[in-house]
Amino acid sequence: MKGRHFRIHPVLIFILAQLAWLSLLGIWIYWYVSNYIIFNQVGKRLSPQMIPKSTNVIALVTGLVLLVAILIGMYLIFIYLNRQLNMTKLYDNFIGNVTHELKSPLASIQLYLETLNLRDIPRAKQKEFIELMIKDAHRLKNRIDSILEISGIEQKKVAHTYGVYTADAIIRTLIGESVDQFKLPAKAVRIEGKAPCPCVVDRDALKIVFDNLIDNAMKYSKEPASVTVHLACTPKLVVIRFSDRGIGISPKEQKKVFHKFQRIYDKDIPNVKGTGLGLYWVKEIVKTHGGKISVFSEGRGRGTTFIIELPIYLESKRRYINRLLKITRKHKERQNDDV
Amino acid sequence: MTMSNENPFNGSRILLVEDEETLAVGLEYNLSEEGYVVTWVDDGQKAIDCFASQEFDLIILDIMLPYYDGFEVAERIRETSPQMPILILTARTAAKDRVRGLEIGADDYMTKPFHLQELLLRVKGMLKRKTWYQSATQEQPVYRFDDNEVNFENLSCRSGKRTFRLTQREAMVLKYLIEHRGKVVSRQELLENVWDINPEIETRTVDNFIVRLRKYFEPNPSKPTYIKSIRSAGYMFTTPEDG
Repeated sequence: MKGRHFRIHPVLIFILAQLAWLSLLGIWIYWYVSNYIIFNQVGKRLSPQMIPKSTNVIALVTGLVLLVAILIGMYLIFIYLNRQLNMTKLYDNFIGNVTHELKSPLASIQLYLETLNLRDIPRAKQKEFIELMIKDAHRLKNRIDSILEISGIEQKKVAHTYGVYTADAIIRTLIGESVDQFKLPAKAVRIEGKAPCPCVVDRDALKIVFDNLIDNAMKYSKEPASVTVHLACTPKLVVIRFSDRGIGISPKEQKKVFHKFQRIYDKDIPNVKGTGLGLYWVKEIVKTHGGKISVFSEGRGRGTTFIIELPIYLESKRRYINRLLKITRKHKERQNDDV
Repeated sequence: MTMSNENPFNGSRILLVEDEETLAVGLEYNLSEEGYVVTWVDDGQKAIDCFASQEFDLIILDIMLPYYDGFEVAERIRETSPQMPILILTARTAAKDRVRGLEIGADDYMTKPFHLQELLLRVKGMLKRKTWYQSATQEQPVYRFDDNEVNFENLSCRSGKRTFRLTQREAMVLKYLIEHRGKVVSRQELLENVWDINPEIETRTVDNFIVRLRKYFEPNPSKPTYIKSIRSAGYMFTTPEDG
């Protein structure tokens, strides 16, 4: 669980809350018994003014403080459990979606294999089926890779290979590759502006970012989909504005789109399949580049703009970026040694 | 493998609702090779529109579909066509999905990945049952016994003043028992004729359907007078007139 409030383990909070509660009980019992003994000893001769008031006040204040501590403890446990519950629900959805995403191409491959095995099929048809199987095998591989990569990013196990590139050139190249990969018409993605500044980029990782954003724009747009990528450099940042004319995202959903396992369900939009990991993955990749990503949409039917900001090499986040380059150098040296 | 010229259901019209294009192409090819006439649509909205405008004999339905999911599509179809055979073909394997699918009236539920031959056999079995049911109900669509009335065409029923609707499968079980009125029908026989031998279905499934039918029609379900249990043999449908 992320966030400062949840660094203390909830079980510890629970134990402390119980200790507070027991201490409160002990103090109040002690207070009551000692007063009772005094009353018994002094009997009817006791004058009410003789009872020490300070004990009452201390017991009362301590009791209140401990009670508040108990309440806070319980509250934190409640919040934690609530978040866990939500995460579990999202995780269940994720498992359902992943199952679907993996089983569909597998079902298709199995169907064609059984068809080829059981029927006499003309050669041309056989070739068509084999091509469809290859397509499904690629789909399956990509989905498995994306799930494994996310796990790697979270555990910081992915060996990134960063290099210094001119932002304009690398972004145009990678977007061009994505357009080719999705077999989109050249007009579908238009690149405007210029970003002739240097930045440190993991080429493969940034390709994943553009692939996901372009894929999303296509899925959530009424045909023909159209994407405009605007490039600019500020004194410290490369700014990439990725705008589509798709169905847009409501303000409430904008806060959630980068959350893990999060998917938007809406009757008016095609129930586009996915794992709910795409934009989470995008955010994690941008974050490891020392950058940040945000989303903006005026609402449903008004398109969506994703804004990616990456630090300019030697102008912003210098130490962090140099560390990335150092890790890459070490990784390459290790590879060379292995060879 | 069944050849199209051997298939007695040649020319049966199948609505294939599947949004995975590669899978749909393969299914369409195989079903066409079996002699069926296949119409393929790739979202829930198109499925509803297509069903409203054309005649079909069977529907193969995915669940995770754009616009309307398979459950909603099945519900809509059931509203207007309680007898339409629906085969749900989905990657969702959870028991709750399977139960929901069958509860809303799907006749069969298969999970992906599936075996081609098994799918084709199930399709054939469903068409066979549909044909049997239609011919069996054509002569006498409404059946009355004592204070009960069953309309096998629209599946509506009346028991005393109470009215309700049977699912397609319940109606099939009841129809089979009524057709063999006065004779003992074994669980295996019901499985073979109403379920068309499904290895996933146990004989207990038959018992569950009998329990449901007794709740609908018997004045005292624990002491049935119409659907009697015959020890170690099966069930028998009788009415007081049979003695």
